[in-house]
Amino acid sequence: MSGSEAVGRKSGARLSAFKRHENLTPLSIFLGFIVVIVILQLITQGISRFPTFISPVNVLNILQQVGVPGIVAVGMTLVMLSGGIDLSVGMLASLVSIITASGLTKWHLGVPGSIAAGVVAAILLETLMGFIISRTKVEPFIITLGGMITFQGIALLVSNSREVILNGELNFLKANLIQGAKDPATGLNLVIPPYVLIFFLIVLLAGLLLKFTKYGRRIYAVGTNPLAAYLAGIDVKNMKLSVYVIIGFLVGIGSVMLLSRVNTGIITLGQNLEIDTIAMVVIGGTALRGGKGNILGTLIGVFFLGSIGNAMNMLRLPSEVQFVAKGLVVIIAVSAGDVSSKVSEFVARRREQA
Amino acid sequence: MRKEALESIREKGCLAGNQRMSQILQLRNISKTFPGVKALQGISLDLNEGEVHCLCGENGAGKSTLIKVLSGAYQPDEGGEIVFDGRKVALNPHLAISLGIQTIYQEHIVFENLSIIENIFTGSEIAHGMFLDRRAMRTQTVDVLKYLKSGLDPDTRMGDLSSGEQKMVEIAKALVFKRRVIVLDEPTASFSSSEIDNLLEIIRTVKGGGIGFIYISHHLEEVFKIGDRVTVLRDGCKVSESGMEGLTKSRLIKDMVGRDPSTFYQRERVAAGEVVFEARNVGGNGVKDISFALRRGEILGVAGMAGSGRSELMNVLFGNARLERGEIRIGGRLVKHSSPKAAIKNRMCFITEDRQSTGLFLPQTIAQNVIVANLVNVRDFVLRPVDDLRTGDDYARRLNIKTTDSRTRAINLSGGNQQKVVLAKWFNTKGEIFIFDEPTHGIDVGSKQEIYQIMVDLLKQGSAIIMVSSDMPEVVSMSDRVLVMKAGGKAAELAREEITEENILGYSIGDSEI
Repeated sequence: MSGSEAVGRKSGARLSAFKRHENLTPLSIFLGFIVVIVILQLITQGISRFPTFISPVNVLNILQQVGVPGIVAVGMTLVMLSGGIDLSVGMLASLVSIITASGLTKWHLGVPGSIAAGVVAAILLETLMGFIISRTKVEPFIITLGGMITFQGIALLVSNSREVILNGELNFLKANLIQGAKDPATGLNLVIPPYVLIFFLIVLLAGLLLKFTKYGRRIYAVGTNPLAAYLAGIDVKNMKLSVYVIIGFLVGIGSVMLLSRVNTGIITLGQNLEIDTIAMVVIGGTALRGGKGNILGTLIGVFFLGSIGNAMNMLRLPSEVQFVAKGLVVIIAVSAGDVSSKVSEFVARRREQA
Repeated sequence: MRKEALESIREKGCLAGNQRMSQILQLRNISKTFPGVKALQGISLDLNEGEVHCLCGENGAGKSTLIKVLSGAYQPDEGGEIVFDGRKVALNPHLAISLGIQTIYQEHIVFENLSIIENIFTGSEIAHGMFLDRRAMRTQTVDVLKYLKSGLDPDTRMGDLSSGEQKMVEIAKALVFKRRVIVLDEPTASFSSSEIDNLLEIIRTVKGGGIGFIYISHHLEEVFKIGDRVTVLRDGCKVSESGMEGLTKSRLIKDMVGRDPSTFYQRERVAAGEVVFEARNVGGNGVKDISFALRRGEILGVAGMAGSGRSELMNVLFGNARLERGEIRIGGRLVKHSSPKAAIKNRMCFITEDRQSTGLFLPQTIAQNVIVANLVNVRDFVLRPVDDLRTGDDYARRLNIKTTDSRTRAINLSGGNQQKVVLAKWFNTKGEIFIFDEPTHGIDVGSKQEIYQIMVDLLKQGSAIIMVSSDMPEVVSMSDRVLVMKAGGKAAELAREEITEENILGYSIGDSEI
């Protein structure tokens, strides 16, 4: 390694974030996130005296709420980076929860067997959709919409349109890893269940996958320009297939976690999951047209949407108002992201002309 | 209302019979300058009623620009004027249409899912208030189709018609709306030979009604069959105008080429090595029976008119289209390219013509673009972004890409620098057999020379190059041999001393008498 290269890299690292326009979009999202957090903290401080928004007990609370959608959002990020979308994740999650719950209560598959049945079913169904999407020219939007409706039907058939109640077989998944820890200010119990850790583990793995592997580079290439990617020797069809296999696996384990929280396999379990996860990914700066975005952005998007939902619950806003607020957040965040990327492109062009 | 269109056509027919040579359109001293390029210089041209005036010239001679001036899409530079029916006019697309100048482009711009009637009338429907007069539109369509001696059902879906029939519908549309000038740009590019004869017959019928045609074609046979006058353009200038009497094909070809070869790029020659690439009777993707051998240190130019199957052949060689017949050998070994991936593994590189849509990942950085094709050869699963940047910076420096570092996005680079990013992407695969499809298309003169030098450097390192080009000086100056294609087949293979503009053009047009 020559000296000039080392210097080059060092000066690259020292460039301010604003000069490197690639970083501007996630940065602006992050700044927006901080501003919202501060505002929420001030409001909650004013209204309820305990616990406030940024108290340890509430932060852990948020983590429990966003853990499962977060896991699915990671999968959705990969799908959207490759230029696809998956509308079926919500109903697939309901289906998996019903299969796993039925396995435990009706089919006597045992705990590992039931979990495996749910996860394998999710992978198989997503693989099937991925196969159709990658081998035909039909829009992924349509295929996964059809998948969503089909999975709803299968779920209702499997459960006879009833809920399947567990007897706490999956409680080990929500065991508190820091049993006995108390919030210093309020004295409330602090809780970190295993699935929060699994969420962080998956975020870390997916982040590394995208940034440090051959696979990651190929995903971005396929999402940016599938034609050029094919001519550059990338197996575009199988790349597209692979992201659906991955999201199938993530929906599978996410739904089992969700099931452990509620103890009931029911059709409404995954309701709106696709909307929440797509919103999280989009807030995080990932483009619907593919090729643009990263896991860090998605992580921020997950916390962003989760915090807002949590704060509105603390403020006891009715759910109707919450929908309006969430919707507006998505619209504002994404428009602001586009404006900021236009600004940064303008800056970049001026920099290159100079 | 019913017979209005036809009557007007007949009326004009009489008119034309009486005063045979009345002038409709005149262009005087038309120039058009784009930043850095003089696309047209002082062109004068006129068109009479009932006349077919042919425009000939190589790719890039300025024909398309001239058409765009006629259709009002481009405004000519100061000093030129356009006279229509004796009146000076400043054309814009709307005025051109309302005066009666209909331009029919090479690519069909049609509504495939609508019927013939709907295609003709969309945008100018006959209506009473808000209700369409379907009967009037139908009868007018039927009348014009009858006039053109076509047996087509006016309700046929446009997408179900052949390209020849679609072209006929576009001419029918011009007749329905009583246009007086019809500009046809390469109308027969995708036609079978019987369709060409049909179209020429239709043109004869229509011009008999007093309508003037500007007819652009690469096919000199058609020019001689249908033309009344021929104007030849070269590099934006008018070279000659002549009637058909006494005109020969070789005369036309001489006019179309005839540049001074000493102004061409002078490249350094490299001693040719052993044969690295061989195509034997290759067919598929519209290409038939192509054979050639390529040696190290050599550029094989591939010439031919637009639509002669050059890019199609390249796609077959690179595994992007199926090889249906024949075989490909690399280094004497028989290879099967089921996909571009296989071709890259066999050390092939394909610099495509449309670099923005098939070569580059525009929103991505230079580094991301440079490393992507070589992923095929990379064994490691784990890669470090720092290494990507180093590779990117390295190529940016070696190829003199104008940028601060390789984190700049490809979209923010100029055409020449973008082309260098594409080259870097392929150099990084350590390939040896390069296909360049229009290597300097849309690139400024300075970058052109740089890219020529880069190609020569490749030859010195023992690589071999297949170069498809429509730029005649480029083919003549860069090639060691030239393969001339025509209608998907091989028309000729020219050795170094036979490479002249005249020979290439002659064989591309398929004239054996030269």
